[in-house]
Formats: sequence, C-alpha cells, structure tokens
Amino acid sequence: MPVDQLSSTFSALADPTRRAILDRLADGEATLTELAAPFPVTVQSVSKHLKVLEHAGLVTRGRAAQWRPARLRGRPLEDAAGWLARYRQFFEASFDRLDDHLRTLQREPDG
Amino acid sequence: MADRPIDQEFTITRVFDAPRELVWKAWTDPDQMARWYGPRGISTPRSTITMDVRPGGTFELTMVDDADGSEYPSGGTFLEVEEPERLVWRDRDIDLLVTITFVDLGGRTEMTCHVAGRTGGAQAYDGWSTMFDDLAAFLDRPT
Repeated sequence: MPVDQLSSTFSALADPTRRAILDRLADGEATLTELAAPFPVTVQSVSKHLKVLEHAGLVTRGRAAQWRPARLRGRPLEDAAGWLARYRQFFEASFDRLDDHLRTLQREPDG
Repeated sequence: MADRPIDQEFTITRVFDAPRELVWKAWTDPDQMARWYGPRGISTPRSTITMDVRPGGTFELTMVDDADGSEYPSGGTFLEVEEPERLVWRDRDIDLLVTITFVDLGGRTEMTCHVAGRTGGAQAYDGWSTMFDDLAAFLDRPT
C-alpha cells in the first residue's frame, strides 16, 4: 500500500544508524559483519536495521551465500519522479482524512 | 528567492461536501489541522503546530508515527494568503511550492492542490537528508 510504503520509508530514514548504513552501501555491497564494524552496536542490532531497510525497499540482500551481502536497491531516493510521487501519496492520503474530518465537523452541534 | 525551473509537478483535485469557509478553516486553523493532516497511521499533535497565516508568515508542525512514535518535523513559509480562495507556501526543507485553491460550488468546495518541485537526482536526496537532519536536531533539543 502506498501509505505503508511512505510510512516505512520515513521510518527507515529517520534513524541515523540506518542512514549511515545506506551511505556505506552507496560505496558498494557489504556483508553484515562489514556493515556492523564502524558502529558501537551489536551485529544483531545492525541486522535489525537492515531488515527495516529491506522492508522499506531501500536495500536488497543476496541469497546465494550464507553471509548474504546487502546492497542498495535502485537508489530510489535519487529517482526524482519517485520522490515527488511519495509527496503525492502523502497529500492524497491526507485529503482522505480531510474529507472524513469535514463530514464529522458538519455533524457536530457547533459545526 | 530567484525563479528556478520546475521539472516536477502534480495536481490533485477534490470536491468536498462542505462550504468553502469550512475547508479554508481546516487548512488555516491549527486546531483543525491537528485533526486531519497526515496519512492514517500518522498524527499531527495540536501542541506541535504553529501557524502565522499571512504572506511571509511561517508554519511548523510535527507528524508522529502512531506505531513507533517517530517524529517528522515539517514547516514552510506562506507566500500568498487570499482568504478563502488561495493559499501558497514554500516548503522549508524540500524545494517545492504548494498552491491550494478553493472554489465555491454552493455548499460544496472544489479544492485543487498543485505541487511544483525542482527535484533532480542529488538535490532530491539532499532534500530528504535535510528533513531527517532536522529530525535529529529536533530530538536532541532540550525541551
């Protein structure tokens, strides 16, 4: 769903560790161990961050090897059309709520 | 601000079953904004909204993800305020201009939302980056 996609992209990018992981992957694919090295957090924690990025469609992970190197997926944030499309989704979804709100308002005694 | 070329834009038109004054108020009264702004699953608490609705006035608000409490501050500057038919603002974080017009259809209101942005690869990415840097600054700020 578009709204879920928007929300998951927001959530994915709101975290500084996840932004740093994306920056690292912009230089090329990396394994979990390589990704975890620069951060003062556990490999398990980085694994969780990676799952969030995967869920948001920002990162894919290989399946061939046990260590499953991660890489950026299509660099969606640099896709100008995709960028504005997210804004459009945001407004469309807001206007659905505005419609509901205006109906509710007119049913209230004080209007 | 110098005029810059627009390379991305879209328009959304909606007809609401409500008088124009009410739709205008929904956009310009913080109490109203708090009740609808943002997709379902995201709230915009009244306490986060400030609006100075006049040309040159600014607005700020923070959207909160209901699921995990993540906060997304946003804001901008009003360029045109013509009650009750036209509202134009420039986003604070991303290079885009939003124009909302309201047409009275006699008890119903046609609202048109036009968004024009200068995007392009790296610039678009910078826009998002700035937005989330603002978020980081917001979270670090003592309350």
